[in-house]
Amino acid sequence: MFRDIHDYKPDIDQAFKANHDLYEAAWKKQTGNISFRVLPPSDVSFYQEIDLTSFTFPQDIERYAATLIDKLDQSYMARRTIDDNCLPAVFPILGIGDYSAFVAGDIIFKPDTSWGQHVLKDIDDWRNLPPLGTSKWYQLFLDISEALIILSKKQGIPYMRGFFSPLDLAHALRGEDIYYDFYDEPEKLHELLNYCADATIHFAESIYALVRKHYHDTPYGTWYTRNQINMSEDIACMISADTYREFCRPHTQRVINHFGSGYMHCHSRAMYLVKEICDLDNVVHLWLATDPNQPRPMDHIEMLQAASNGAVIAIDCDSFSEIETHYASLKKGNFSLCLPVASIEEGEDMVQRFKRLND
Amino acid sequence: MILEEISQLLQKGKAKDVKLLVQEALDQNIAPQAILNDGLIKGMSVIGGKFKNNEVFVPELLVAARAMNFGLEILRPALVLAGNKSLGKALICTVMGDLHDIGKNLVKMMLEGSGIEVLDLGVDVNPETIINHINSEQPDLLCLSALLTTTMMNQKIIIDAITQSGLRDKVKILIGGAPVTDNYAREIGADGYAPDAASAAEMALAMLGAK
Repeated sequence: MFRDIHDYKPDIDQAFKANHDLYEAAWKKQTGNISFRVLPPSDVSFYQEIDLTSFTFPQDIERYAATLIDKLDQSYMARRTIDDNCLPAVFPILGIGDYSAFVAGDIIFKPDTSWGQHVLKDIDDWRNLPPLGTSKWYQLFLDISEALIILSKKQGIPYMRGFFSPLDLAHALRGEDIYYDFYDEPEKLHELLNYCADATIHFAESIYALVRKHYHDTPYGTWYTRNQINMSEDIACMISADTYREFCRPHTQRVINHFGSGYMHCHSRAMYLVKEICDLDNVVHLWLATDPNQPRPMDHIEMLQAASNGAVIAIDCDSFSEIETHYASLKKGNFSLCLPVASIEEGEDMVQRFKRLND
Repeated sequence: MILEEISQLLQKGKAKDVKLLVQEALDQNIAPQAILNDGLIKGMSVIGGKFKNNEVFVPELLVAARAMNFGLEILRPALVLAGNKSLGKALICTVMGDLHDIGKNLVKMMLEGSGIEVLDLGVDVNPETIINHINSEQPDLLCLSALLTTTMMNQKIIIDAITQSGLRDKVKILIGGAPVTDNYAREIGADGYAPDAASAAEMALAMLGAK
């Protein structure tokens, strides 16, 4: 079971306010803000402790929810003395598969992740899919989410959920053939991406309605879902900026417009796309995950700042010293920094060092 | 002139045009090997280089590789008649636990575009399957792809299994994938590492030449 959110984050009001202020500033394109979190091993180790193949859905929804919350509780308790910007939240962990199976197909579970199915043999096959909202995993995902929310709301733990962008969803449904579609069937690809935007809006609205139903009287429950959408643009790493502009921008923008603002995610492999993504209207956040064997975002702060259009760019650091080295450049934009640490004690120390640097 | 045109059209992914021009080149009695080397492989080499430098991306590489295959369909019988042999045979797969295949497919296409025969074992492939195919196909080269930090460990498991089965000196092993590095390749006993599909083809040719 979760404990009260204040047990995990004694100064939760301040942490929420800091995050809120950061994104308000980004919304207004006011720069000069740096947010900081550390990443102790306990923040991620629990992922490997959940064997996704040990659950059968829907029979095991309650056991899954209890297991996941138990792991999250341990993870948040481990870092309760770290006064960074990390906010406790509850979120389903079902691998990658559920990010597309809500449209159609089943989820193939592996111990530490899952896969969806490429259900669109032909690019037009989306027209033959069951109506949105009627697939097996659409309702199952909502049921799993509701079980988690019921076990979390009294303790004030907010629910969080991200989505595939229209291109990521189309790729998950279509498979690698989508790369040929850019050349062979550009008009039909636009139609598919348009459908994927509809599907994302439909699904997100259902989830948000569920969250609002349960969290309407809690201070933070709807914080993550108010006027915003969180989307990944992972597959964009495989295409050019021109192709992104032509095929992805209109559909991703439509989803953002529906909700109000966009919290985006892509990889450092796609550093050349940062400007494209941040130039979408009302993008306030871009998490740029560092890829192995690719340029490190921390080595390109000036470029990122110039391309960010005021959005918060969330990046990883290797050491505190490089934050100090790049501090002046970081202050020219809006950045959210994540520093891996070896222990809770080191995490506490790094947070204090950051506060001294940033105050 | 026609060979340069084949190369240019291949780079633009114009598969049907490449096919027609390859036939036209054969009709003009141009040697099949010249059509292969100075038309198709040259085009793939240019597009591979651009891919390596982020000047073109996955869709462009894939449609170019498809154009290459269209050309090869027409050219292959003539190459056989001319006694042309492939530069070697490669097995390729994505390792067990990993279902990602775009990187593997790109490498496969670049190897084929370099004149190497490739047998694709697919994704999520276990050591037993690979060992069976090394025995039955006797490849010169084994290419192991892994996208995830969790599955790159399986490249080592596969190499260890090949070593234990006594086949390690029968085949060169090339590994790749987003998290893989040259150091890691050395650590796990691979013969080489390539950071992208174009480099994989260059590395494969070098490894086959060294055999």
